[in-house]
Amino acid sequence: MTTALTGRGVGRTARAAREPDGTAPPARPKRTWAPYLFISPFYVLYVLFMLVPVGVSLWLSLTEWVGLGTPRWVGLRNYRLLATDISFHRALGNTAVFVLVAVCVIVPLALLIAQALNTRGLRARDLWRTAYFVPIVVSPILVALVFGLFFDRQFGLLNSVLRALFGTGGVDWLGDPELAKVSIGLVMLWRWTGYLTIFFLAGLQAVPRELYESAALDGAGRLRTFSTVTLSALKPVTAFVVVTSFIGAAQIFEEPYLLTGGGPAESTLSVSMFIYRAAFERQQFGYAAAAAVVLFVLVFGLSQLFNRVLGIGRAAA
Amino acid sequence: MYPPIPQLPPPPAPVVPRRTLLRGALGLGAAGALAACGGESTTARTAGDVTLSLWTHDPGYQAFFTQGIPAADRATDFRYHLDVTRAGAADLVTKLLAQAVAGRGTPDTIGFEIGSFPRMLRGDIAPRLLHDFTADIAAVPGLEEDLLPARTAPYSQDGRVYAFDSDTPMVVYYYRDDLFTKYGVPKDTPTWEEFTELGARTHRDHGASLCVVSTAGSDVGQVVGSFQMLLYQRGGAFFDADQNLVLDSPEAEEVLRFLCDGLRTGFVVDISDYYGASMQTALKQGKVIGLPMAVWYKNYGLMPNVPEQKGRWRIRALPRFTDDGSTTATLGGTGFGVLTDKANTRAATEFLLATWLTHDGQVRRFTETGYLPTRRSVFEDPRLNAVRDEFCGGQRLFSLYRTLLPDVPAVHQSPDQPILFDVLAGNLLRAYHGDLTPRQALKQTAADFRDQAGR
Repeated sequence: MTTALTGRGVGRTARAAREPDGTAPPARPKRTWAPYLFISPFYVLYVLFMLVPVGVSLWLSLTEWVGLGTPRWVGLRNYRLLATDISFHRALGNTAVFVLVAVCVIVPLALLIAQALNTRGLRARDLWRTAYFVPIVVSPILVALVFGLFFDRQFGLLNSVLRALFGTGGVDWLGDPELAKVSIGLVMLWRWTGYLTIFFLAGLQAVPRELYESAALDGAGRLRTFSTVTLSALKPVTAFVVVTSFIGAAQIFEEPYLLTGGGPAESTLSVSMFIYRAAFERQQFGYAAAAAVVLFVLVFGLSQLFNRVLGIGRAAA
Repeated sequence: MYPPIPQLPPPPAPVVPRRTLLRGALGLGAAGALAACGGESTTARTAGDVTLSLWTHDPGYQAFFTQGIPAADRATDFRYHLDVTRAGAADLVTKLLAQAVAGRGTPDTIGFEIGSFPRMLRGDIAPRLLHDFTADIAAVPGLEEDLLPARTAPYSQDGRVYAFDSDTPMVVYYYRDDLFTKYGVPKDTPTWEEFTELGARTHRDHGASLCVVSTAGSDVGQVVGSFQMLLYQRGGAFFDADQNLVLDSPEAEEVLRFLCDGLRTGFVVDISDYYGASMQTALKQGKVIGLPMAVWYKNYGLMPNVPEQKGRWRIRALPRFTDDGSTTATLGGTGFGVLTDKANTRAATEFLLATWLTHDGQVRRFTETGYLPTRRSVFEDPRLNAVRDEFCGGQRLFSLYRTLLPDVPAVHQSPDQPILFDVLAGNLLRAYHGDLTPRQALKQTAADFRDQAGR
């Protein structure tokens, strides 16, 4: 900062010194639009595809619109109806469960797997990494198809295994309201854990070895080393993974839509599915927009809270 | 020291200055963009070459209409060409509405799968977008009396007909002739009540079921469909002609109790998907040896899943409910509509009338796609009555279909039907699991529907 100020001061002094000589003051830089033109594509696209849709959604949420014709202004009616809509409450509750699974189960599991994959002397390390990463690249349609067969009550693989091992089967994995949630959680676990593991693995590889050596010299055990060295060093990565997992799970759509359709009895209906259903199955675009605004506010607000609590983007003290 | 630099000749003056050229290009671009954003011409074509944009979810319809072009050319003043777009049934409606909002790119003719059509009934979407066929039907001598009202009802609103159905999808009873004989199950059991006892015994002795309900949580249409078939057979309904909910009825309770009891005894088996691997396994293993289903299920469910069972299946009328009800119901269908106020509206309407609704067209539709006629008189056609079905052991099925025809019930749809299906599917599953009594499930459905409908 000091250097910059000094530099500007020097420039000003030199100009003041020249002007009394009768020389013409240096020409003011010509106003040109070129730089703005060069950076404009991003902002034009940002406005068109980000700000305008958000603004339109907000406006749409205050109207009643079937998808054709002129929307009818209804003020806050959609929000009032949402406040008393049992389906929406169910969707919020289900989404909260999925968020908890993502943040409290998948993220810690991904960290443990990353720790295991980071072990010195692990054989076929690349094979393991690839194996964990593959589920995220598999098409969700295929995932739903395979897990649909896997979870089938009458003829599914899981029940067949249970029957063969324990003589009991017939568990209605996708038909029982509580088990359906568990099944969706298992699919989330299968799909997302490996993906998040990659982030933790990258973080672990950046932890200086000296820290572990120092901890060993201080007599720290494995648990102590993990909690004081590994977790501390991984704090920025963990914060990022937690927030992105939270945002992803709060907007979960593919898994419940393809596997259970939000059923049975709306027990796996997520807020994103609720919005989709209102707009594209029931032609209630204003109502769907209101639900989308509520979801946006919740996700944005809680993400900000996470950011503050976890200190994302703040330099380490 | 240096030779003088020769004077370069002045550059020739551009014929059009760059700036002008740029402005011109921008102007042309803007004009092009504005032209592209404009609506399509609505000047009606009355004759000559016409290319109809046809949207459908089923390749069978595409083939049918393509092969119908010569007949349509002969019957009208147009020479038809088709530009076909295929997409998922629900996606077609979404795409149609998006194009309608954009003011261009809508099709001339579109096929609505029956479960997707209620979206068109919301607000004034149907009258704004679709051509009303009422006058066209009246203009064809004898058509109004001949066309089954039961199959125009699902695509009608306020007395106007917006689509012509592809099928009279009667519900019949499919059964394995060889296994019924082997297990000693009579093939002419007249009532469901007697069937229930036979079914319980068959399940106990042979592990086979005589009825199926779908519990595919991801497909509410299938879950509701299992119940819907017997509900409409029993004389119940979801909505009346004025789109009021009439589900909560003694008939509905009786049917749901019948299914719930059947699940306890094993007479009924729950299958996650009528078309998928679980049903295929059940059919191959002889766990399902009979089921009520629509006539199209033979072509789209049984034949693809168990082609090796050709000749072993038979079709009969549904057993009756002792108290009341009829011998059949309907499930499914696809209505073809025409977009209104377009240049090709007349051409598309005449094309549908000349292919979809003629006597020969309906005969051809059955022979090519397996869908039953929607005109009464076509059921008398000797060509159809002579058809023997090899998958069903050479049965002449049209004689059965003719007897069922008077019992085909009308299905009235409501814009709130998707809501009903969502809430009903959940409560049906809870009743099947024993978490709710049939009475409670129906009461809960009505309450949930009232809570969500009209938002």
